[in-house]
Amino acid sequence: MSDVAVTKRSQRRALGPYGRVGKTINELDERLGIAKGGRSFLDKVYPDHWSFLLGEIALYSFIVILATGVFLTFYYTPSQALVTYHGSYLPLDGQKMTEAYFSSVNLSFAVRGGLLMRQMHHWACDIFVGAIVVHMARVFFTGAFRKPRELNWTIGLTLLILAIVNGFLGYSLPDDLVSGTGIRIAYSIIESIPLVGSYLAFWIFGGNYPGNGVFQRFYVAHVLLVPLIMIGLVSAHMFLMFRQKHTQFDGGGRTEDNVVGKPFFPVFMAKTTGYLLIITGVIALLSAFAQVNPIWQFGPYEAARISYAVQPDWYMGFLDGALRIWPSWTFHSFGHTIPFEVFIPAVLLPGVIFNLAFAWPALERRFTHDDEFHNLLDRPSNRPKRTAAGAALLAFLFMLFVASSTDVLANFFHVSLNTVLIAMRVLVVATPFIAYLVTYKICKELQAVHNAGRRKTANIVSRTPAGEYVATPSPLYPDDRHDKLEPTPVPDFISTGSPEVTESGVRTVER
Amino acid sequence: MKPDEQREPVHLRGLSADDPHLQPASAHPERAEAVIAVTLFLGLLGVAGFGACYWVNAAPWTLGATLGGGLTFLGIGMAAWGKYLMPRGPFVEERHSLAATDEDRDALAGAIVQRGGTLLKRRKLIGGLLGGGLGVFSVVAIFPLLRSLGPLPKGTLFHTDWKKGSYVVDQTGRRVSVGDLAVGSVMTVYPEGAQDTDRGQAVDATVLVRLSNEDFTTQRGRETWAPMGYVAYSKICTHLGCPVGLYEQQLQLLVCPCHQSMFNVTNGAIPQFGPAPRPLPQLPMYIDASGFLRSQRGYDQPIGPGFWERS
Amino acid sequence: MTRPVLSRLGATAFVALLGAAPVLALATNAHAAGKPPYQTTRKNSGTPNSSQVVTNSQGQVISYGNRAITYANPSPALAQLGRALFLENCATCHGTEANGVPASGTAGAYPDLVGLGTATIDFWVESGRMPAANPRAVEAVRRVPRLTHDQALAIAAWINSLSPAYPAIPTVHLQGANVSDGATLFALNCAACHTIEGTGDALAFSTFSPSMRHVPATQVAEAIRTGPGNMPRFTGNLSDFQVRDIVKYVTTEIEHPRNPGGFGLGGLGPVAEGFVGLALGVGLLALVGFWVGERQ
Repeated sequence: MSDVAVTKRSQRRALGPYGRVGKTINELDERLGIAKGGRSFLDKVYPDHWSFLLGEIALYSFIVILATGVFLTFYYTPSQALVTYHGSYLPLDGQKMTEAYFSSVNLSFAVRGGLLMRQMHHWACDIFVGAIVVHMARVFFTGAFRKPRELNWTIGLTLLILAIVNGFLGYSLPDDLVSGTGIRIAYSIIESIPLVGSYLAFWIFGGNYPGNGVFQRFYVAHVLLVPLIMIGLVSAHMFLMFRQKHTQFDGGGRTEDNVVGKPFFPVFMAKTTGYLLIITGVIALLSAFAQVNPIWQFGPYEAARISYAVQPDWYMGFLDGALRIWPSWTFHSFGHTIPFEVFIPAVLLPGVIFNLAFAWPALERRFTHDDEFHNLLDRPSNRPKRTAAGAALLAFLFMLFVASSTDVLANFFHVSLNTVLIAMRVLVVATPFIAYLVTYKICKELQAVHNAGRRKTANIVSRTPAGEYVATPSPLYPDDRHDKLEPTPVPDFISTGSPEVTESGVRTVER
Repeated sequence: MKPDEQREPVHLRGLSADDPHLQPASAHPERAEAVIAVTLFLGLLGVAGFGACYWVNAAPWTLGATLGGGLTFLGIGMAAWGKYLMPRGPFVEERHSLAATDEDRDALAGAIVQRGGTLLKRRKLIGGLLGGGLGVFSVVAIFPLLRSLGPLPKGTLFHTDWKKGSYVVDQTGRRVSVGDLAVGSVMTVYPEGAQDTDRGQAVDATVLVRLSNEDFTTQRGRETWAPMGYVAYSKICTHLGCPVGLYEQQLQLLVCPCHQSMFNVTNGAIPQFGPAPRPLPQLPMYIDASGFLRSQRGYDQPIGPGFWERS
Repeated sequence: MTRPVLSRLGATAFVALLGAAPVLALATNAHAAGKPPYQTTRKNSGTPNSSQVVTNSQGQVISYGNRAITYANPSPALAQLGRALFLENCATCHGTEANGVPASGTAGAYPDLVGLGTATIDFWVESGRMPAANPRAVEAVRRVPRLTHDQALAIAAWINSLSPAYPAIPTVHLQGANVSDGATLFALNCAACHTIEGTGDALAFSTFSPSMRHVPATQVAEAIRTGPGNMPRFTGNLSDFQVRDIVKYVTTEIEHPRNPGGFGLGGLGPVAEGFVGLALGVGLLALVGFWVGERQ
């Protein structure tokens, strides 16, 4: 070998048929054993219906949140110590404010790209929670939470709760007038819990309102504790989806026992990375042209100041709406007070709603007596009761959102504020019923349309000489023939030789 | 393993190279490629433009527009590549049951139960002691987290800084005198010394309204509380603690801006509409010999929202 | 357990209050006719606190004020023209004697204007609120004024001649105003009704706080000092220098808000942001996903 002249061609040959990539894979596989798993990972088939991409909006906006959030942590100071502002924004010049507010204003005006990062972080969060809700609705209405995916449903719902909580903590960090009011309200809500409320409030806030070191605690929770849990849960969510394989609608060759779609590499990877870039781009465009949370206009928070027309961010709006319309029921006896006008709308109501959502897979199993595996999705119209129930809950939550803007509605429609509030009380109760009935009816009609439109399989009836009638399915008419291709296995690259079969029952790659 | 230089590339198995499944999804791949090329080029310009705008410290909207436009075009190009120029498919893969065989499940359950059983059998004492120790530890481990974070709720929830003879001052510390407000005026006041503190802002803040030029009686028993028409109520709403700063002079209502509870200032701030459950506590005041407003004593009840211990 | 909703009793009480308020205003002004009641006697950061009252030969107040705001009454000679204009435009509701007793004789339905001072009259007329577009509305809306500036001054002069009162019409001298102090004062005193961004909103029972955009400096000062309608009046609790700072803040920062982040979305806060984020953000991205994915 040492006598042979070393040429470029012989160097190339020495690397093997796949060059440096092949060599690297050889090295890694010897140490980590990645080759077999890696190949099945690349070949993995992903169904690519558009409604399956709603979860990706959530996932990728979460990535945008993390990335922009890291930038923000370098500039934000979680401190209640007072400083005097001297900067480029003159209406604040000379005012005393907390370091938290000062650092946020400074970030917006004096740090290059700071305002863009802040706005991208905020818009991405609004979109994140919205995408989770939309994705959850898709999962609910198509029945993707059924066996074996109940755990994923639970993880996803937990992620929704954590996203809402972290959003609240996050927009409260700058300590401006609008979000500071929200913190006061949160304190009172915690206080309202019977028996333990004041202890909880003193524990979280370090004393009576406004508390001691609130921003340090919120900051640690918002930047470290909750994101860590969320990253863990998102990873578990993805892993479960990966391991159990994604669900799919029926038709087009799809069955309970297969997955039809595109392989991860290169098709799905290209589309999903493209989608990531588009989502980041749209968030950036939104941050360029639509202002969000202009904290400099609100001014620093002081507990005796307030602005009118203050609402929390949209995903907390249902709580605000519930608090506005709830009658002033308070219990005051035996030396104790239970402020039901706060406790019910702000603690019990979301508790009931979320617990119902957590319990839904088990409830549905109980009521439909259905313990089967379901890898095929329902068409929402084929499950009228479930779809109508989901629509009723969404209508209820939507009316609560609307109820949080009673003053804006009264102003816009030139109606008395009191009338709007009373109207909202009626609507919040009535709309879910109407939504249920209407949705149920629409589903039933859609079912009829589906069945009517599809041509039933034609049978050729023939009579045998013995007198029996025999029905055989007729060949497809040209109108019935699909011009779509039948699915085929992913073309694989493997040397000839029998594939390995293990006896442990762990999934075997049989290619 | 064969040495690298002797290995041959493997061949595609399963489909021939000109199978329709492997063809680009687009009917006109060259045209699609041209469009995608333009899109990606625009994306390149966009992100390069972001770099340029950042370099020269341009306005934030230019940063967002270039970054957003660039990334969006790059993303459209990449997604379009995946959608139109890559194998059309569809491809299929089998689902295998995740569950193992019954023997494997029994083996796992058996391992836990039997080995665990042999662990604990006849070792009940030390097992119990270990369990007890770990259990106690898991409880006391929470103690630092619980107690060090905050004090126990006590007096601060029930009292404000208003005392007998506290001067009524505005946010700059100036004492309010009887000639300061005309009928229909409103201002926010604090007990002297508390106007700059967090507690003063959050707990002591009081709304001072002048309703008339004579002593005003809001309720029976409160005849001396509002001298010369100066009525004072706690500014902290009894619903959720927002400052009730909105005074409507002709309606004689204090409206809370958060959830629109409406308090009637003429009868002791009894809520007339909205979710607030209790009237705003009224601060009894008097006018001293120099004409300054002062409080007779503190509030007669805890201010602000309700909580369990509020009797 | 139920709370009384807007019942007839409440409506009657409300209308009665509406009629009672100008009586209170009248009482206040009559009481303080001796000296300007809204001129605080306290010093303001070492600046001279003069309220040099200038009167004419008949003892009528011509002007008073200081470096921050000068208050001036229109010339009493305009009173005759003012009376003619009043009879043409206002007497139908406010009565020929401006005492709230219209020709039809039902007293108390419309405010008594005697003794309200020139600033009050000037504010209502020059902001277009009077003559009212809808006399039966709970609150008059701002609109293009029907009367010119000189006509408004004339009417104010006539009403002032019936019973002189304070305050006079302010002229705000904005140079030297501190916009940051104005921001602080606005947040503490004004934001609770007008919102921190000055957009205005609906308040209790069909009342509303108007937007602070496109309001001239004089009208801002007039509103602060006179407390029109349901707005409380700010008298001794705000000095002229503080009022000047607020006016500066309103006419600069609220009039031209700095929106470096993009379109201001109407200053409506999280409600508008939520709509934009959901509709434009999630909606648009879902549509994009419709393109990226397959429809089967």
